[in-house]
Amino acid sequence: MSHRRDGWMDGLADGDVEALELRAATLARVEGEGGMRVLVRDGQVSDVRLDIYEPPRFFEALLRGRAATEAPDITSRICGICPVAYQMSACLAVEDACGVEIPEHIRLLRRLLYCGEWLESHALHVYLLHAPDFLGYPGAIEMARDHRDAVNRGLRLKQAGNAVLATIGGRAVHPVNVRVGGFHRLPRTGELRELRAVVATALDDALATVEMAAGFDYPDFEQPYEYVSLRHERDYPIEAGSFVTSSGEAFPVAGFPDRVTEEHVEHSNALHARMGGGTYVVGPLARYSLNADRLTPLARQAADRAQLGPTCRNPFRSIVVRAVELVVAAEEALRILDGWAPEGPAAVPVPPRAGTGHGATEAPRGALYHRYELAPDGTIVQAAIVPPTSQNLASIEADLRGFVQPRIGLDAEELTRQCEQAIRNYDPCISCATHFLTLTVETDDTVGPG
Amino acid sequence: MSRPLVVGVGNPDRGDDAIGPHVAARVAALGPPGVDVVERGEPVDLVPHLLERDHMVIVDAAAPRGRPGRLRVHVVGATAPAAGAGGAGGTHGFGVAEAVELARALGRLPARLVLIGVEAGTLSAGEPLSAAVSGCVDEAVRATLTAAGR
Repeated sequence: MSHRRDGWMDGLADGDVEALELRAATLARVEGEGGMRVLVRDGQVSDVRLDIYEPPRFFEALLRGRAATEAPDITSRICGICPVAYQMSACLAVEDACGVEIPEHIRLLRRLLYCGEWLESHALHVYLLHAPDFLGYPGAIEMARDHRDAVNRGLRLKQAGNAVLATIGGRAVHPVNVRVGGFHRLPRTGELRELRAVVATALDDALATVEMAAGFDYPDFEQPYEYVSLRHERDYPIEAGSFVTSSGEAFPVAGFPDRVTEEHVEHSNALHARMGGGTYVVGPLARYSLNADRLTPLARQAADRAQLGPTCRNPFRSIVVRAVELVVAAEEALRILDGWAPEGPAAVPVPPRAGTGHGATEAPRGALYHRYELAPDGTIVQAAIVPPTSQNLASIEADLRGFVQPRIGLDAEELTRQCEQAIRNYDPCISCATHFLTLTVETDDTVGPG
Repeated sequence: MSRPLVVGVGNPDRGDDAIGPHVAARVAALGPPGVDVVERGEPVDLVPHLLERDHMVIVDAAAPRGRPGRLRVHVVGATAPAAGAGGAGGTHGFGVAEAVELARALGRLPARLVLIGVEAGTLSAGEPLSAAVSGCVDEAVRATLTAAGR
């Protein structure tokens, strides 16, 4: 972390300009590798850049020529934190292309598996990546020395998520039991009984997490976000639904590419997504604000106790919303486990046909969209994947602008730390965001090296 | 739990980073009595094992320093290792040292904790083990069994 006056403005600024650069060359406590630069000139924030330098990964090109049945396993490798999200969006898109609807028991088992991923991912972010910001520690190791019970609780929650993935998905990272049309095998009753005990403990831990997060101090900062998330006719959105926005739009998953464009920006190996030309936000804040009426009963009570209200526009309170979603995940997992009475096979046939299919689910970080164009034999002709972090990058930069301006008088080191915290509000997954296909690097020689 | 636990750490598809899972799989195939093996562990998920077990052996690739295949056996003691472990990195920077220090901060480490590091030569995606590292697999397996008390 560094901050300096007249740093990268050398050779560019005239001598009278007061320039302040806030810079984190490598962002701490995020998924993947990126940096941040905020430039202040003459008391005004003049430039904000989230530098995404992790190399692009070309997954969409990799998918061309592969069988559609391989899409869930290939795309799950985009991320070690949210592989289930990739598997689920891929399955939905391929099944959509082939005109197949999956039966209810398979939908429920997918939702149960997905709850495990929410538990894993949210627990990791809340406890090991984000809580140290609020408790005043450089990281989880330092925090653990003073807050053993909290960190142990976080590790237990993550292990509970691992147990769901291992039981339903076959292993805790990159599950192997998922296939287009369903699963390779259904779980056995004895396995689910053991899992239930673990998830019941996770529910208690999730409720305690909401209580902990609600007690943190939050900067007074709200943004006029355009929220976008899935919405389901009955449930809190996880593995199914169609899109809604906070400005009142509603559209099917197949309408996503008509509204969202991805553009390349010079300082980033990740595309920035825009809807109708404007920035928007996906993720826990969007899901909660657009689906507060779909919360599970204990999650609703916990949100009320945390005084979350019907919407939340303070990104720093995303940690409270993530905690509430831990409760949703544990409650939903228990509901599915308690009602589990499968009627039908582990998977339904998905005969290939030519066509285009769309799939979207709610990854822990927000809506994850897949589109596949298939040849008659099921070979993938074109693939497009829009992960949540790409959709949030423009808003992260907008947050930094709005956040830094009234705080310019703060000590630069402290302000840099707070900027990193503002980025962590989004739990950005840089590895997901750099999966994309084309990369055009244009250099601007007037900007010095970082 | 008193049964020794051997864990291999690393990506099996990234050149010499595969040495941890490779050695752990060999140990599992030999089936030493009374030894549990996790062939491929994630660093964050090492922590619960570190908090529960009395005896653990962790096998991982060590950063390239010009001598691929060199074996280092480190018995973790009561004082913090000089690995520069800190909790402030990203998740991609959370390795074995961070897992050990997180468990230590939580107040417990196995009474006997041995880290076996095999210095890597290449860490390229899709590459197999380098010749230098392949050549020391037997030695690493023997060291792991010895560290596990077998």
